[in-house]
Formats: sequence, C-alpha cells, structure tokens
Amino acid sequence: MIALGLEGSANKIGIGIISHSPSKPPVILANLRHTYNAPPGEGFLPKETALHHRAWVVRLIKQAIHQAHITLADISCICYTKGPGMGAPLQSVVLAARTCALLWDKPLVGVNHCVGHIEMGRSITGAENPVVLYVSGGNTQVIAYSANRYRIFGETLDIAIGNCIDRFARTLLIPNDPFPGYNVEQLAKKGTHFVDLPYAVKGMDASFSGILAAADVLAKGLDESLPEDKRLKTEDGELVTRADLCFSLQETIFAMLVEITERAMAHVGSKQVLVVGGVGSNERLQQMMGIMARDRGGSVFATDERFCIDNGIMIAHAGLLEFQTGVTTPLEESTCTQRFRTDEVYVGWRD
Amino acid sequence: MAPAETIEPTAAPLQAPPPPTDPERPLHTLPPPFTESHLEVLTQGAEALVYKTVFLTPDTPCVVKYRPPKPYRHPILDRRLTKARLLAEARVLVRCMRDGVAVPGVLGADWEAGWLVLEWVEGRTVRKVLDGWAERVVQKGKEGMDRVSEQDEAMLGLMQRVGRAVGKLHEIGVCHGDLTTSNLMLRTLEKQPTQEAPKSRGRLTTSEMRMMAEDGVFPDFPSVSRGKEQDEAESLEGEIILIDFGLASHSTQNLQDEDRAVDLYVLERAFAATHPAAEPLFKEVLKAYGESFKGAMAVLKRLEDVRLRGRKRSMLG
Amino acid sequence: MASIYTLTIPHYPTHPIHIALFRSVRNAAHLRAQLLSANPSFDYAFLDATTILSYHQLLLAAQLALHAHLTGRSKTRTPHSELVFRLHPNNNIGESYRKFGINNASSTLIAIKFSLDPEITGESVARHLGEVVEGESVDIGPNGEELAMFADVAKIRKIFKLNDGGKGKEGAAVNGEARDERKQMESVILGTIALKGS
Repeated sequence: MIALGLEGSANKIGIGIISHSPSKPPVILANLRHTYNAPPGEGFLPKETALHHRAWVVRLIKQAIHQAHITLADISCICYTKGPGMGAPLQSVVLAARTCALLWDKPLVGVNHCVGHIEMGRSITGAENPVVLYVSGGNTQVIAYSANRYRIFGETLDIAIGNCIDRFARTLLIPNDPFPGYNVEQLAKKGTHFVDLPYAVKGMDASFSGILAAADVLAKGLDESLPEDKRLKTEDGELVTRADLCFSLQETIFAMLVEITERAMAHVGSKQVLVVGGVGSNERLQQMMGIMARDRGGSVFATDERFCIDNGIMIAHAGLLEFQTGVTTPLEESTCTQRFRTDEVYVGWRD
Repeated sequence: MAPAETIEPTAAPLQAPPPPTDPERPLHTLPPPFTESHLEVLTQGAEALVYKTVFLTPDTPCVVKYRPPKPYRHPILDRRLTKARLLAEARVLVRCMRDGVAVPGVLGADWEAGWLVLEWVEGRTVRKVLDGWAERVVQKGKEGMDRVSEQDEAMLGLMQRVGRAVGKLHEIGVCHGDLTTSNLMLRTLEKQPTQEAPKSRGRLTTSEMRMMAEDGVFPDFPSVSRGKEQDEAESLEGEIILIDFGLASHSTQNLQDEDRAVDLYVLERAFAATHPAAEPLFKEVLKAYGESFKGAMAVLKRLEDVRLRGRKRSMLG
Repeated sequence: MASIYTLTIPHYPTHPIHIALFRSVRNAAHLRAQLLSANPSFDYAFLDATTILSYHQLLLAAQLALHAHLTGRSKTRTPHSELVFRLHPNNNIGESYRKFGINNASSTLIAIKFSLDPEITGESVARHLGEVVEGESVDIGPNGEELAMFADVAKIRKIFKLNDGGKGKEGAAVNGEARDERKQMESVILGTIALKGS
C-alpha cells in the first residue's frame, strides 16, 4: 500500500510517498521538502509561511510522484497534518490534500503531527517501545506508550524548546538558514565558558521562557560598543562571547530535557529513549542523552535531519498505519487544528 | 525561487541500532566516609541512590540519599544543581521538624559530595497499608467476617491522621511535590527503648561487628521474630510520617493554593490506583484536611478545578 | 586516672574518639587558659556540659569535624576546635567557643580527644586528664546518655532559637501519638548543625 503525505504545520512544506508491504520495512519512495526562511532577526509569520506553502505544494507533489515512479492509481490514501501547528500554514496544506483527494478520488487521513514524528522515529531506528522525547520549534514533550495512547509524561509549561533557541538566535541576529538551531549549535561548539542561567524543571515538566528572558538580558552585555566595565564577563574576568552564551543556553536547556527524560524512563521502567523533532538533530543533545542512557544501561535512538525535521514522509507513514486499521477522515471532517494533543489519538495499530 | 531540497528515495531506511550497553554496571562508588562501607541498597531512582546504614552510633539506623554526579551535564551546572537540591530538601525537612510536621530528621549532610543522611523511619508505607486493607476487603466479601468493621474504624482513624499530617505540612507553607501513598509512612509504635541491636539492618561492617561484640550485643537477623512482625503488619496505630521531600518547595509568602491542590490531587490519584475500594477512604482524608487549617477549604475548592482539567493545563501542541 | 569512654563513629573505624565527663570542676579557668595560650599538650575540645542536649548532638559535631578534617575542608586550625565550631548554629568561631567551650565558671566539663595519632590512646588521655582536671570523673555508659545529664535545656533552646511559641506541640497533637518534645528539639538541633555553612 502506498500513501502520499503532506506536511505543513510550520515553516516547512514536506511531501512524502511511502510504501508498506506486509512483514517488510516500509520503503520511502520520495521525501521532498522546502523551507521558508525569514530574514535574520525575524521569525516566520503565519501569512508569509502559508503563501510559501501554497506556492510550492503543487510542484512538490508532482515532483514526488515523478520521483517515486508511481501512478495515481497506486496511491491508497492521502495523509495530511491535522495539527498541532500554525493555523494558516496548516490550512494551506489541508486545502491541497482535500483537492487531491477529490480530484483523484482517494480517502483522506488526518494525522497528528507528533504521532507522525514518533512513528517515523520508531520505524527508522527500530526502537520498539522507547520513551520518546519530542522536541521542536512548537513542541516539547516526554511521551511513553501505554494502552493504545501516547501518553504525555512531561512537557513544557510555556514555550517549546525550539522556540526558545530560535528566539535567542534572533536576539543574537544569527541567520535562519538552514535553520536557527543549527547555527546556534555550530556557534555553541566554539563556546568554552559556562554562564549560569536559570534552571527550571518541575517534576517531569520544564519551563523555558524564564531562561530565554535571562539569556536575552545577558546578551545585552555582549555589545562591543559598551564600556569595558559594563560588558559581560565570567567570574575570572574574561569577556563572555556569543559562542559562550549559545553554549551555556544549550548546556542548560538540554540538561533539563535529559533530566525529565530520565525521570520518565525511571517511571515507566524503560531503557530506550527515542529523540524526535527538529531539535533532536542537535548532536550535543544526542550526546548528552546517550551518556544518560548508557548510565541507565540503555541506549538512545535518534534520526538524522531527513526525519528529525518536519517532513511529509512521517505523515504518510503514520497515516498509512492508521489507514490500515480502517480509519479514514471523511471529507466533511477533514479540518485542521492548532491544538491537538498527542494523547488524543487512539493508537489502534499497536498492541 | 530556489529548487526544492530534494532527498533521494531510500530503499532501506532502517538504521543500525546503537550498541547495547552492559546492564550490570557496577553501582556508583560512594564518596567518603561511605566509600569503604557496605550499604544496603533501598532504591535507585533517577535522582538519587538510597541506602540504609547506621550513622553516629552503630544502633542509629539511617537512610543515606546520594545524588551521584550526572556526567551528561556541565560540571558547573551539575555541582550547582546537586547542592541546591540537596540543601532544598534538607532545609525543608528541618523547617518541618521545627514546626512540628512529622518528617525524618536530618542527621548529616555533605552538599559538595552530594549525600544527605536522614533518620530511619521504622514502619510501612501507606501504600502497603492500603494494599493490605484492600486485600482484606476482598476477603471479607468472600467470608463475611465480622472483625472488619473494627478494622474499618481504625482505617478511618488512619485516614484522618493522613489528612491532618498533609494539612499541617501545607499550613506551614510547604508543598511536597510528589505526594504519593509511597511517600507516607505509618511509623510503627515505638517499643521500649532497647539495648539490643537494631533489627533488619544492612550488612554490618567488620568494625561495627567488632564494636557490637565488644558491647556484648549480637546482630539480630531478619529471619527471627516473624510472628511479632505479623502483628505489627496489621496494626493501624502509629504516627504518619511524610518522607521524600526531593521535589518539595517552601514559600514564605502565601503558598499557592494551586500547588497544594496538586499535592492533594496526586495523593487522590495514588489512592485510586491502589484499589477502587480505597477511593471512599480518601474522602476521610479530605475531610480531616479541610478541618486542619485556615485556608484548607479554599484548597479543596481548588482541587475541584484541578480534577476537572487533570494535572496539566491544555495548551498548544 | 579519669574515666574514659572510647568510641568510633560508624564509617570512621580508624579514628577512635576519647571522651571524658567531669562534674564539680574547680579549675575551669586554668584549663581555658591553656587553650587560649595554645598549649600543645592541651589539644582537646573542652565543652561546658550544660550545652549538650544529647549524645547525638555531640557525635554529629565530632563527625562533622572529623569529616571536614579528613576531606581538607576544616574552617578552624585543629579537629578539636572544629568540633567546638561545628556545635554552634552560625559561622562565628569566637562565639562557638563562648557558647559551647568551657568558661571560667564552668563546673561541668566534657573533654574530647580525637585519636589521630597512634600514640594517643584511651589510657594516655585518661592519665593526662586525670592529672590536669580538678573535678569528679563521671562514668559514661554504653549509650552515652550521661553526656546529656547536665544539659540546660533553656540555655540550649536560646542558642538554637527554639522558642517557637508552642507550634511544635500543636503538631504533635494532631498526629495521634504525642511526640517526645526533647527528641524533636534534638532533631532540629541536629538538622541545624548538619546544614550550617550551607
């Protein structure tokens, strides 16, 4: 069975085509993506992002079908991101999905974006029943499967971790291309001094807005035009650099993520951890998670950018899993929603 | 516009799984003075390793709570967090003790090395008590025994003590943060102070054995005096002690009713998870809580909101 | 010869501690003068026994002093001065001595000596204290209870600011069993000195 997947919940439009055959690993026939990047110092806004998606969706679908060497008749269903995400971009993509469904007379499957990440991560890495850390620009959740639901054990109490990083990138005028988190990560590799920032973990939940605010205040002290005594220095009197701040921010917020993940692992008795979502491609986060998992006698599973970052293939994959249990989304219910909790989805395809 | 970032079709996307690690890693080496001691492991949580041993004297049983360094995080951050959390927990305990909330006393600490020594509480967790009670309720249904009503009376009394203990805690401005039935202990009524060796302690060090031998006492092994323990296991008498303040917070200003209500909610869920029959018991806890301090009724009101929405607020994503 | 009680604190098996208790002491001023002049043969912790509420209080201060000494984190010159310092709730060394050390009028005395050197034995300590302390040696039983026999509860309460307006009593009443007030006081003191300097 073959599914076409359409994703556009944030600033990336992704089109994927996947094929499932019984007792074989799924085959990815096409996985295309185009990213809308706002100028440095700015975030992507819903209107412009929706325009971008609309401009790209047709040619990406055409290209994907061409690349997959399939005909329209081969497609079993059309899967799209129902939510969560930004309203306008979601709408522009669901519109395309509906149009295709009507044109080609195919059933629709609305997919939860987070579940898409989880299922793709499980499939790619072979992690069977891991604790999942889902970290992206819009989400921060620690999830474990239990009784046909992906239950949220911990989550952010305010902004998502990716949002925290992106906004700090904006503060430092770090470019948005290829994506701000990547550039922060590269800069952080050059950081040497650890600067104290707040640390906000509450049980299995975390909070990032206070840390961002504190980091923004510290960033003001980097200004080279300030008099020497006003500039931000370490305890040893050395000047703090942009790289140091990126390093300290990453060290602090990633430590928080690893801590809440470890708590969830201890709570459910799992030794596997799967990291998904755009922030999951950060090598330092993967490394820290790896050390923690090793100390617990377990292991960490992570995917690369192709699957960590929003893509259409994960929507096609999760949608096809659901389609195979007999679930479709009738046209009149083929809406999208900005709020759609991971634990609302009935996971009928797992025991 | 630039061409789409194309990704070639992949036939076999499965990644090689990460190498498995040795699940039988040795326990952490404890810092001085426990490095050479043989300690009995009680629990190994994500945060701390908990051991039983003796402290100050060979017949003062205690709990050592050790927060090992977390090698994944920056050493500066690691030291800061270990110290802050250990001290937060210890200070809350001392505060509780000072204000008459029944908690284990702090016997020692080294916040640089990450260990905290707490008074040993002899008894059972309320969770165990509830499990035993639920079992008897089921038995009663089968046999129609008479003695149970007496037991129920004692159980209600116990619930009232739980409610008052939590009320007292909240009254002095402390929120527990992880108020499950496993973190409530029913302390066994103290027997005559004895000169015999403490029961069922961990492995003794040779020096302890030598000292005990010199004092003319002999270690009491757990296999003896089984019958006595059985009696104790059924008794519902004794003081309620709150334990594990690792996530507790204390605020001098008006403690938010939200945090208090969440404490109660977590406890309520723990009761519900034990046995359906335990749920009515929780009403008794709340009743006693409501009468325990000024402001308790407002917390109960808030608890209703928390119940409706669950512990978490609904939010984007 | 003075009567000496020798013990080792669990987890510190190689560091015996010798303790002697005296009543009706007549030469406290002389003993204090030896400490003040840092007379090397008077390397002891000399405590006024009225400030010791319990054996555990004394042991915790000894443990803290020993631990600080062995991990190189002492705040004072010797383990003995460290012990006196560790008894006090705040970080003022001079005040620790004024509150817990012997004063010229002390009539009860607890003398403590750490065996950090194999030459220091219970016997050598017993002989020396027997010679220099003018007072009546009190035997210490296996539970160390005698060390608290001269405790001045009101004075100790004041040092640790434990005048809590009966809040503690109230707490005891609500939880069924009446708690031993002195035990609770001890517990607060132990916690307070364990966390000092944090």
